Parts: sequence; C-alpha cells; structure tokens
Amino acid sequence: MKAKVAVVGLGKMGLLHASILSVLDDVELVALCEKSTLVRRFGKRIIQGVSVVADLAELCGMGLDAVYVTTPVPSHLPIIKAIYTKGIAHNVFVEKPLASSYAEVEELCNLTRNQGGVNMVGYNRRFSVTFRKAKQILDEGTLQEPSFFEGYAYSSDFLGAKMGSKTSSRGGVISDLGCHVVDLALWFFGQLEVESAKLESLIGSDSEDSAYFKVRASGGPLALGGEFKSSWCMEGYRLPEIGLLIKGSNGTMKVDEDKVELKLDDGSSFLWHKHDLGDDVSFFIGGTEYLREDEFFIGSILNGSNAEPSFQTACKVEEIIDQVKRVKEKSRRNEQ
Amino acid sequence: MNSKKLLLVGDNPFHGISHLSQERATSRGNDLAHPNYAADLVRKSLENGADGFMFTVSETTLSILRIISKGEEHNRPQLYAIVPYAYEFVRLAVLAGGVPGLAMKLAQQIAFSGNWKAIVNGLRGVIGTDPASLLRSYILYEASRLKSSAGKKAALASILLHEVVTDMALALNMDWLFRTHIEFMLDCRIKPGFETRNFAYLVKKFEEWGIDFRGVVIAAPFNALGFQMCPSREECEKALAKTSEAEVIVFSILASGYLKLPEAIEYIVNLPNLKGVAVGVSKKHHACETFKLLKEKLR
Repeated sequence: MKAKVAVVGLGKMGLLHASILSVLDDVELVALCEKSTLVRRFGKRIIQGVSVVADLAELCGMGLDAVYVTTPVPSHLPIIKAIYTKGIAHNVFVEKPLASSYAEVEELCNLTRNQGGVNMVGYNRRFSVTFRKAKQILDEGTLQEPSFFEGYAYSSDFLGAKMGSKTSSRGGVISDLGCHVVDLALWFFGQLEVESAKLESLIGSDSEDSAYFKVRASGGPLALGGEFKSSWCMEGYRLPEIGLLIKGSNGTMKVDEDKVELKLDDGSSFLWHKHDLGDDVSFFIGGTEYLREDEFFIGSILNGSNAEPSFQTACKVEEIIDQVKRVKEKSRRNEQ
Repeated sequence: MNSKKLLLVGDNPFHGISHLSQERATSRGNDLAHPNYAADLVRKSLENGADGFMFTVSETTLSILRIISKGEEHNRPQLYAIVPYAYEFVRLAVLAGGVPGLAMKLAQQIAFSGNWKAIVNGLRGVIGTDPASLLRSYILYEASRLKSSAGKKAALASILLHEVVTDMALALNMDWLFRTHIEFMLDCRIKPGFETRNFAYLVKKFEEWGIDFRGVVIAAPFNALGFQMCPSREECEKALAKTSEAEVIVFSILASGYLKLPEAIEYIVNLPNLKGVAVGVSKKHHACETFKLLKEKLR
C-alpha cells in the first residue's frame, strides 16, 4: 500500500521533502500546492506526473493520506486548519516551528485532539545518528544524574546582513534555529522552565538575532539547570551547528551534528563520529536525517502508530520560547 | 592500473568545509579562505602531479582562478566547475525572502552580466515558460564568469551540476534537465557533468531513460568506509562496474578525513572504470605528499 501525499509550499524545504517523498517506495507524490504564479508555472513544466495547484481547495477529493506543510511559518495555522476542516487529509507533517506563537500552537493542538490522525513537526535533529546516540547514552544512565547542560545553535545566515533584512518571516533566531536545540533538550531531559532570558537585535530594531536564556528542570526529581545560546549572526558557521554539553554525576558528554564525545569520571573516554554510527540512507539529499524523518512519518501513517515529535511535543518547545519572550518583556519593563 | 588517472585538487577546504566536523573546519583557520594562500595550494598540487582543479563557482574560487591565470601557461589546471554554489544560493534565498526572491536576484545578475546569449536564453525561458532555456541561460552566465576570471586561454574541461540540483532532478524524474545539460555542453565543446551523492541511483535512472554515458563526467563519493555512498558501498561499486563509458571522478576518498591517504588509495586503486580523483588539501606539505602519492599509486 502506498500513502498518497501532497506538499504545500514549493520553497527550499518543500522541494526537499517532495524529492525525498518521490523516492520512497511506499509513497505516491500526488500534488504540489504553491501560491506563487511564477513558481507554479515553472513547477508544472519541470515536474512531470504530479498536479501543481494554486489553492488548497484543489487538493480536496484527491484521496490524500497526508499533507506536508512547508510554507512560511505565519501561514501554518490557517493552512493546517483548512486541511482538517476541508477534509483534505487526516495526517499532517509541518516544517518547524509549528506556528508563530504559543497561542496558535495551542489552537492547533486542540484541533488535532479532535481530529485524530498522525501529526508531526520537522524537528529533524532527532533523526541524526549523533543525537540519537546521545539520547541512548542518557537513557542508559551512563552519565548517571544529569546536573547541568549548555545547548547552542549557531549559524552565519544573517552575518553581515543589512539592516532591515527579511528576518521577521522566520520569526526570530529561537523560533527559527534555537528551537532545534530546545526540542533536543526537552527530548533528553523532559519539562524545563525558563528562569532568565536575554534577546538581542543586531540587524533591525524588532528582529531577534541573538538569544541567551537559563532554564531549570520542572515537574521531576532532577536538580538540573541549563542554558541556551543561539545566534544567526555568528562568524564561521557556514552551515548551522547545533550541539549540547551535558554534565552528569558520572562524567561529561558533548554532542553535535558530527560526533559524540563521552568522558567518564573513571578516566575512560569514548568518541563516535557519525561514520561509526551507521549514518546510511537509501537516498541522500540535504542530510541523512531528512530521509529518516520522512520514512518515519510515512511509516507511522501506514502502521497506524503515533509519530514523534508530534504537535503536542512541539507545543512544549513553543511554551519555552513563549516563556523566554515573557521573561524578557518582564525584565524590560522592570528596567523602565 | 594502466590508464592515466585524472588527479584534481578539490576546493572544500577553501570554503571552510569538513564533513568530519564543523569544529575541524573552523580550527583550520582563515588562511584557507584567503585566495592567495588557496591559489598557492593549487599551484603546489599542480607541481606535484595534479592535473586540474574541481571547484564550485563562487567569489572565493573565482578569485583563486584570477591568481592562477597569471601564472605560466603550461601550469594552468584543467578546470572542473560545479554550479550552482548551493550554499550561496540558499543564503541568497534566505536574505531575499524565498525562491521567487532568489529568482529575481539571479535574473538581475544575468541581465547586468552583459552576456547577450545568456540574456536571450533567459528571456526566451521566462516568456515561453521554458525551463531548458533558463538552464542554458544560467550555464552561459556561469561560463562567462569563469572565463572572465580564469582568462580566455583557461582549460574549462567540464561544467558539472551541483549535487543538490542533480539529486533533486533524479528524485523528481527530471530527465529533461540531464538531456538539456548534456546536449548543450556538448554543443559548447565542454564535457557535461553531474555531481551526485546517489551514484547508483543516477546510473539506474540514466539506464532507464536511455541517456548515453559517453563523455559524461560523474563526480561521486567513493571510499573504503562507504561513507556517504548511497544506498551502500556495494551498490555503488556494482553501478561503477557498469559505467565504463562515463568519466567517473571520485571524491570523499578520505571519508572526510576519517581515513589516512595510503588506506584510501588502497581502496580506490582497485575500483574498475575509475577515471579520476578529487582531493582537497589544506597545507602546502599536504598538497605535495597527497599528489605525489596519488601520482605514484594511480599512474
């Protein structure tokens, strides 16, 4: 059985997912939906055997099993609502972050509770072999009790960008880039709460280009504290880099997209590059984690199981981002 | 190994790329991004056995070409140019607010390039919604950038489509793109080429579409570890055994620094139908040792 799938939004991520879905054996890529007339005109000529449509309503009646939403973040809420209310599909994958604000994310979570179906958000680092290895090490208790972590997410995307560059459509550095490391920390440690936060505008007066915030574990027995650093104006990060340093009662672990380093208090140390961790896929485009992510989502639909990170899980990421903004706002008011 | 293998200097270190680790790329320092230093490394490689330079077309590599072009004519490399420079395109798309913004920027650059063939093809492409004309327009534009930097006497051996374009086109069954690029490049007397991370899949698709491999350059990762060889080392080796007519150039032979050069060579020396190797170097003594050894073992 093949899952019939459509992709909404033909930007970079839409094309990436459309490509991956096209090579998966258990997927039939049925339609692409794009509002730009120019992109649609060429899309129809370039990609054969797939309908290219302008409006979501045209996806009705195609018998779709799933829709991928890869449009700019502010459009996620209305598009996902339309997919459910028009009965276009029961199963939805959306590129991260889920929506523009915590209120919108809550609305989407309430909607999916009534809808059922499989839903998933593109926090693809969970499908990277190094972060999976780190999660396994933590779950096995090798570090024993984690006491502190530092998470970072850096890129040079807007380094040297002119004032007024279009950062707003990406929702700020935490929503766009830092959300990955927040998701990983929540996956590793469970619920967290923001204690203090600092956001900086480097490109425009209302842009959020650099962020630093401290968190503490909540709702569990852990006496865990942590901090996050995120910037898209860093020098030397041609590709975005996400990583964590984790201190436990039995040693320290460093993990990034390339490797996992483990140093234990008994003097033993271990290093795994992604080469050592079976980083193989059947088709490589963009990075190995994208194919694994799409295989997992489609597999969940066909097997009738849940997919993670779901909308509910992504809601927790948005909750942290919302807390950062509120803490920052509170401290700004106090300063005034 | 009787046939002479083409030895190429790769440009990844000049762009700050290490697939082993970002940390390693950063630790190499800024010297590598400096065109004079990078041009010295290319020259050193040529003196020690390299035949050419394989690079993505970017401001950095064009600057390197400008420096090399001033050298002696006999010491000019065969150029294997990869387009587009995907990283810069993604960054441009980010700054321009998406794919339509990127298309506008590129259209402006072509319009202001003064290359009439590129402009005419571009207009034909836009007016007639003809993607093949747009591809030709873009390739002409990149070729003119190359010639203006490397000089008219430069040996432009091949223009390869970047892996992002190749692999997306493979996945989306865009056989027209491969046919258009091959036909157009052969008309221009330049070898058509494709860089891919999905070598076995490309070979399967070319066979399915009836595309002739003769004279086509294919650049793909091959290494003893099977690192980035999709779907597996075995499948890529089987596909390579079938492609005697293509000019297959392998890269990532060191599995991004995970393997030592002698063990990397030990693997590639036994590959059938291998026509060339591209390796990046980051220091002068690396350039000497690497190409001396490759020359000794592969020729």
